[in-house]
Amino acid sequence: MKALITGAAHGLGRALTEELLHQGHDVVAVDRDTEPLNALSIINAGACTVYNADLQNVGSVTRLLTNLRTHEFDLVILNAGISATGKFEDIPVVAYDRLIAVNLFAPIHLASRLVGDGLMTQKSKIVFISSLSHAVGYPGGAVYAATKDAIAAYARSVAKPFKKRRVGVLTVFPGPINTEHAKKHAPDNSDTSKRMEPQKLAKMILKAAKGRSRIYYPGSRAYFAGMFGRMFPTLATRMMRKGLYEKMKDPIH
Amino acid sequence: MFSSKPRRAHRILVTGASDGIGLLLARAYARRGHHVLATGRRHIADEKTTFRSPNVIYRSADLSEPEEATRTLIETMQDIGWRRLDLAILNGATAWVGPPEDEPVNGIRNQLSVNFSAAIHLAHALAPLLFVANGQLMMVGSTSVNKAQGAFATYTATKAGLDGLCRSLAEEWQGRADVKIVHPGPTRTNMHAKAGLKLGLVRLFFMSPRRVSSAIQCAVRRKDVRRRVITRFFGFRARFSRAGKGRL
Repeated sequence: MKALITGAAHGLGRALTEELLHQGHDVVAVDRDTEPLNALSIINAGACTVYNADLQNVGSVTRLLTNLRTHEFDLVILNAGISATGKFEDIPVVAYDRLIAVNLFAPIHLASRLVGDGLMTQKSKIVFISSLSHAVGYPGGAVYAATKDAIAAYARSVAKPFKKRRVGVLTVFPGPINTEHAKKHAPDNSDTSKRMEPQKLAKMILKAAKGRSRIYYPGSRAYFAGMFGRMFPTLATRMMRKGLYEKMKDPIH
Repeated sequence: MFSSKPRRAHRILVTGASDGIGLLLARAYARRGHHVLATGRRHIADEKTTFRSPNVIYRSADLSEPEEATRTLIETMQDIGWRRLDLAILNGATAWVGPPEDEPVNGIRNQLSVNFSAAIHLAHALAPLLFVANGQLMMVGSTSVNKAQGAFATYTATKAGLDGLCRSLAEEWQGRADVKIVHPGPTRTNMHAKAGLKLGLVRLFFMSPRRVSSAIQCAVRRKDVRRRVITRFFGFRARFSRAGKGRL
């Protein structure tokens, strides 16, 4: 099996790459910072191909797609994502442009071209990583949440047309993960013990990608939070405001 | 018919006002004596005849360049001396129709910019003016967010993004400004034709833009409404509710 992972250098993408290599698959790892991936590609010579691409930049994504032309994928995980947290009006608008480019434009562009140009094998799968914020809202990360809602809606819309091309679509809605990226955006002295370990989450996502379901809330905590958010949307968002927004100080982007 | 003079003339921004729902909204508010800054991509030579009122100022701004469009609008507001804004209706949108795997990159970028990015840029720039007036930000979504739409994948994504933005932002801005969203169903505007969709008789079943425009005005007035779906049959309340009765 050959897989493509974006945002493969750190966090969840890293865990997914390591797990896939450990299982004996071929991985094409993409990140803007390929330095941490060098060791992996040397140890797994032949199995791990690394491409440098900055998903903020359309030209870079187009170049990446040209490089990918020689491959055919059974699994694509569009994992790369960034965040910007703080009061909506305090975050500079350039940070929002970056968010839209990386979290929304790049995955739509990649998915559309990978399927359209026939770079996906029969019975392959595209995995979009949304967020639990899709269910509960995210005051203090309004635009981040909006991009994640948008990508979830895109995934839901393309499920049928992509199925005609024999490509399955899975959307994952993970809750807080214990990564450097998540720590940076969480309020100070927040409890990290309830966060999910990326290694564990990677295993769960890969298992779900083999299955038939189209949406996946990994772990019981995310599952119940998601259910609560859909049943009581206003209350859930209000709780998020109390828990996160009111504890926020300086914007982080 | 209901053009009673408002208690106070409000300052209202309407995007996507050169045609369709936006044009009707601009006309309706201007007719009631409010000051409207209308904007769209097209050039309009004669504002007075298009909007049928002297209360409308029109500036053409292309939302596919959100930064530039926002700058143009903010500068215009400074020029005409607006230091507060009572209502901003972010209505401008564009669509591309077809199988998502054939969607050109420029089509994706265009929709993301006009429908989503521009709304964020404008909300960001207008926030201080809205806070001063304790105003209202009204976004226009689409019923496509409630149903998977294979042919409108990116369009649906942008509208779902607005819905999500509205949800979180309403909670953030609570007490300072209202943030609302309406989701109109298929409407008899030129958007489908511009997207290259030939509908023929199906259009007869679509809502009239007038009906959608009055439903949006109703949602603006109602304090308890934060998110409303406007569909063909269950919305006659908007038609009978008295325009110009409440704050706006």
